[in-house]
Amino acid sequence: MYEELLEDIAQKNGLREVSPYLKLAGALGAILLCLSSTSFIAPLAIALLLSLGILFLARVDLRTYGELLVAPFSFALMGAFVIILLSGGGEPLWSWSPLPWLSFSITRGSINEGILVLSRVAGGMSALIFIALTTPMTDLFLVMRRCRVPEPVLDLAMMIYRTIFMIMDQLVQTYQAQRMRLGYTSFRESVRSFSMLCGSVFIGSWDAGEDLIRAMDARCYSGRFAMAGEIRPVEVKSFLAVAFFLVVSSAIVLSTGNIAII
Amino acid sequence: MTHVILEARDIRYRYPHGMEAIRGISFHVRRGEKVALVGPNGAGKSTLLLMFNGMLRPDSGVLLFDNRPIRYDGGSLRELRRRVGFVFQNPDRQIIAPTVYQDVAFGPTNLGLPEEQVRVAVEAALRNVGLTGFERRPPHQLSSGEKKRVAIAGVLAMDPDLLVLDEPTSNLDPAGSEDIMELLEELKGNGKTILISTHDVELAYPWADRVILLRGGEILQEDSPDVAFSDTDLVRKARLSVPVLLDLYRELERRGLSLPGKRPKTVLDMINTIEQVTRKGASSPLYGTIHVCNVDETTREALSRWLSDHGGISLGAMGTRAKQRASEEELPLDFSYGVIDKCILKALNGRSSLILTVGGMVQQVERRVSDFKVESGAEIPVRKVERT
Repeated sequence: MYEELLEDIAQKNGLREVSPYLKLAGALGAILLCLSSTSFIAPLAIALLLSLGILFLARVDLRTYGELLVAPFSFALMGAFVIILLSGGGEPLWSWSPLPWLSFSITRGSINEGILVLSRVAGGMSALIFIALTTPMTDLFLVMRRCRVPEPVLDLAMMIYRTIFMIMDQLVQTYQAQRMRLGYTSFRESVRSFSMLCGSVFIGSWDAGEDLIRAMDARCYSGRFAMAGEIRPVEVKSFLAVAFFLVVSSAIVLSTGNIAII
Repeated sequence: MTHVILEARDIRYRYPHGMEAIRGISFHVRRGEKVALVGPNGAGKSTLLLMFNGMLRPDSGVLLFDNRPIRYDGGSLRELRRRVGFVFQNPDRQIIAPTVYQDVAFGPTNLGLPEEQVRVAVEAALRNVGLTGFERRPPHQLSSGEKKRVAIAGVLAMDPDLLVLDEPTSNLDPAGSEDIMELLEELKGNGKTILISTHDVELAYPWADRVILLRGGEILQEDSPDVAFSDTDLVRKARLSVPVLLDLYRELERRGLSLPGKRPKTVLDMINTIEQVTRKGASSPLYGTIHVCNVDETTREALSRWLSDHGGISLGAMGTRAKQRASEEELPLDFSYGVIDKCILKALNGRSSLILTVGGMVQQVERRVSDFKVESGAEIPVRKVERT
């Protein structure tokens, strides 16, 4: 139910009526700033600002947002840990050679690099989650259309979007039906049930595809897909807010360029 | 003159590698009619319906639409499908696009209408089914009844002459089913011909002008609903049941009660019949008044003032737009379907009521009440709520 959850939040978030261009500009700008920053402070500041935006402007509840952050952060932590152990540079603070050809060391440079990567992940992730939680796919389709994404690609994307929810429904129902009849009690049983689940969903989506063609034919399909009305206009207030955010973030990037953690 | 819009002449169809699903069916549908194809599961209802817009082609026999044989080249099929709107049983399988607006606009866009006309058509269709304001919603967040309405709106946007609906009330709760049936009634009022398939006899019985009983790919019986459902043998053969009211009426007859008038289709008909028997010669009682309010012409304030002047009155809404208005203004509705009949029942009991409705349906109320006067002799006053 994960995707459904995200999309549903996006459909009724507090920033729904803000122009998607502005939201995208803000988030993409934030990602670029995170990547160009040489200090760990700027990405963290950006992450903080965007998180405040998600929590207070878009009014997403803290728990949901926290759950979304757990997965990427556990990966980022592992990644940063490996970087700290393996990369070098600067004076070593700690080292260990369990085997003649294998050695680990922690150096000043490796700590700085690991922390920088971790903070960039924080900034980037919060920007991506910001888009996911404030801009529903239906608005993104409009933006893609304006950005001249080829129509066949876009039409396919829209049908896939619609189909995902249908297949999801079927998946959940079949899965529940299997669990009710104790389909996942042992490992062997789980493997068997899972393969049956995949099979039935495949056949189901095949059927759905045929029905889709019929439904389109029944309504005179001739290769055209309608677009949903107009994009929300860019409002002065939100434009200024995004501009302010980007200016402040850039200022932080420039002024903190030389600060390292140790 | 009512002319035939759809005609089948001895059509047969066999599924590839399968049994014969349609075994020589002939019938016709007149313009402006409401016809129900009634039969058990597997009777061939859906197969038959899919032929009416050329999705399936009969192996033999002729299908005529508007007195011309259906042709199966691309251009003719497009024109046919524009004029015959098909609503699938499962709205999830019919809704294609990621938003309500895009889905309803799908047909008109593919017909090549310019964007402005598409917008007008979509707005009109959504207003018709009472989903104004749902344009940007994604379909997976809607209820089953709302999805069904989106599916119907998607077809209405192409302005078809004939609406074909496969099991329009399956998977809906009773109130949702009544809503859809009332919507179909409204569409008929707008000049559409409507053909549905169903196995819900209680819904088909009061609604349809004509019923076609189908079993095993053949027509068992084709007649007005009170006649078609009266033949117990046929009804049993078709694995259906006799509508409760009809059953009750016949049981009363069998017990020697001679009931005047035609067979009752609604509770009102039944009450009227019984009252005519029991109240013979009694002085006419005092009837309640039916007030009618056109919500398009009445402001919110005027309506709430009127309601506070007439405290405790029963309130009914007829038509999708009136219901939408009632829910916007949080008016508690006593009736939301079969409204006129229920208000007449109230009036017979000496109680007054208010019907919220729109445009042409005001006349429909007056017509129904004056028809009722002819049937029963009861003169129930109808008053319009004056504009203020």
